[in-house]
Amino acid sequence: MNGSTEKNSAPDLSNEERDILLDVGFADFDDRAATSILSDTDVRFTGSNDPGVEVLPLSEALRTYEFVQDLMFGLVSPDANEHIAMVAEHMHDPLGHFTWVKPGAKVALPVQNFTLLETPQARQFTHDITLIDEGAEVQMISGAAVPSQVHKGRHISVDECYMRKGSSCTSVNIEHWGVGMDTYSYGYARMEEGARSQSTSVMMAPVAMQLSQSTTHLDAHANAVSQAIIFAGNGTERVIETDTHLNGTGARSEDVSRMVSAGGTIINNARLVGAASGTNGFLGCDGLKLTNRGEITAVPALQAIAEGSMLSHEASVGMIDSDKLNYLMAAGIEEDLARNLIVQGFLSLESAAIPPQLRKRIVDLIAEAKSGGM
Amino acid sequence: MLKISDLRVAIGNKTILNGIDLTLPDGELHVLLGANGSGKSSLLATIMGLPPFKVTSGEILFDGTPIHDMDIHERTRLGIGMAYQRPPSLEGVSVRTFAHALGADAQLEREAAALDLAEFIDRDMNVGFSGGEIKRWEVLKLVLQDPLLLLFDEPESGVDLEHVTAIGDAIGRVVRTPDGKGRACSGLLITHTGLVLNHVSADRAYIMRDGRIIHSGDPAVLFKHVQTQGYTAPAT
Repeated sequence: MNGSTEKNSAPDLSNEERDILLDVGFADFDDRAATSILSDTDVRFTGSNDPGVEVLPLSEALRTYEFVQDLMFGLVSPDANEHIAMVAEHMHDPLGHFTWVKPGAKVALPVQNFTLLETPQARQFTHDITLIDEGAEVQMISGAAVPSQVHKGRHISVDECYMRKGSSCTSVNIEHWGVGMDTYSYGYARMEEGARSQSTSVMMAPVAMQLSQSTTHLDAHANAVSQAIIFAGNGTERVIETDTHLNGTGARSEDVSRMVSAGGTIINNARLVGAASGTNGFLGCDGLKLTNRGEITAVPALQAIAEGSMLSHEASVGMIDSDKLNYLMAAGIEEDLARNLIVQGFLSLESAAIPPQLRKRIVDLIAEAKSGGM
Repeated sequence: MLKISDLRVAIGNKTILNGIDLTLPDGELHVLLGANGSGKSSLLATIMGLPPFKVTSGEILFDGTPIHDMDIHERTRLGIGMAYQRPPSLEGVSVRTFAHALGADAQLEREAAALDLAEFIDRDMNVGFSGGEIKRWEVLKLVLQDPLLLLFDEPESGVDLEHVTAIGDAIGRVVRTPDGKGRACSGLLITHTGLVLNHVSADRAYIMRDGRIIHSGDPAVLFKHVQTQGYTAPAT
């Protein structure tokens, strides 16, 4: 079924594929409004159970809908950087998901999109486009995963998301790449007037190098709330860069990152730009180091351009608070368990922003990462 | 249960407890009275093994076993627990999660309700708690922990009068109820106001001053003395 699109039937997955997808939030086709699965260089499956959502391979979407070509590289130039140029130039037939939530659609079940890299030492270049049309409401679950035997490879992705006027999206993204892989993701979003987004990003599994850059532009009264939990064990380097522009009057954003280094390196550069009056933004970058190895760098930057833009940030990096540790130990909890509770608490996410089916999985991921079990 | 002999404790090079002697038998509740800085909280923290207090001489015996070289967890395994005066906030760690980690899920809801904390079960520990809520939670924490020796550091400070009764009753209940193995518990309690003593009967009181115990005797008599004469040794 390589490269094909199926409607209203379950994707044909091996047991191993199903297992690794379950790890990053996959659920059965019938439990999702729409599903899209990309593996290596093919879109393996797209299908929808909801007339309000259409998912297609990007190449098919370009042929089907004339407007998609205007969305592609509409938020970023194809030569914005070396990696994006590679994505643009390597795609004779563009590879990626196209997701369209139709105007006014209130999609009850989540839409899920997943990317697999199943061939060791593969080079994967993908481009995903999401259009959440005017007044539409949707939950999205996305993830990336590799089979256990794949530990080397490279993944480069470009993601463009258009949220039209008054639309709403709650999204969760879980990445579980191979331990020796290099991944580079570039995300761009445009939120039109009154659009609302609530995004959760989970970066817990080991990877050699991860660069995640995202740029979001908010028009008047748009509201973006994002939270990320980021873990780096020995041998993992993660560079997270976010750039949020509050362009319209009354736009609001809140961007919170919780980072834990257990010997790895995390660099978090976050910039918030208040370019219109009445805007309000917050950056929170907090880091916890569990050992003397590794490092965390948190750099929140605020740029107020317009009068009446209220921007604030909070950043902290440190070891586990000994007072908290002693308190739990004095309550009869062993030291290792006490440390786990503190780390899990530090990494805890605003659960209201996460589909109930995924909450326990994320808690388990945190515990696995802390114990080195991933 | 607890026997402290000629205990000297320092922080760095500064001696803060100087020659403490105290014996706490099974099933008794003793009370420490003293001004701020007299060493009461330092004594409790030293028994619990909390930093930065270092025993420089003397000994602390729990059931005849020296504990002053034990780490915190070893002391809790012996059966020592403490209600903090100012506990840290634990963001992201709910009361329910904590109870689960202690293996006390079964007791949580019943005991929380008894302390008017039923609505706190899914809240993060000490995050956004009022002063009184913190004190009630600290007592609930000890109930869940089920220790033999219960240390209470200012359990009624910051508690409104309505809840002092609940705190006092709960302290009385947890101290006077045998532990899970049927052994009588003991308690050592710091109080400034003495209000809690209206709700729980103590067996002995000590007046501390400048890192020393300067007097001991009947709690009601000593507290009355403190109210009129301050933290001084009554004339004999």
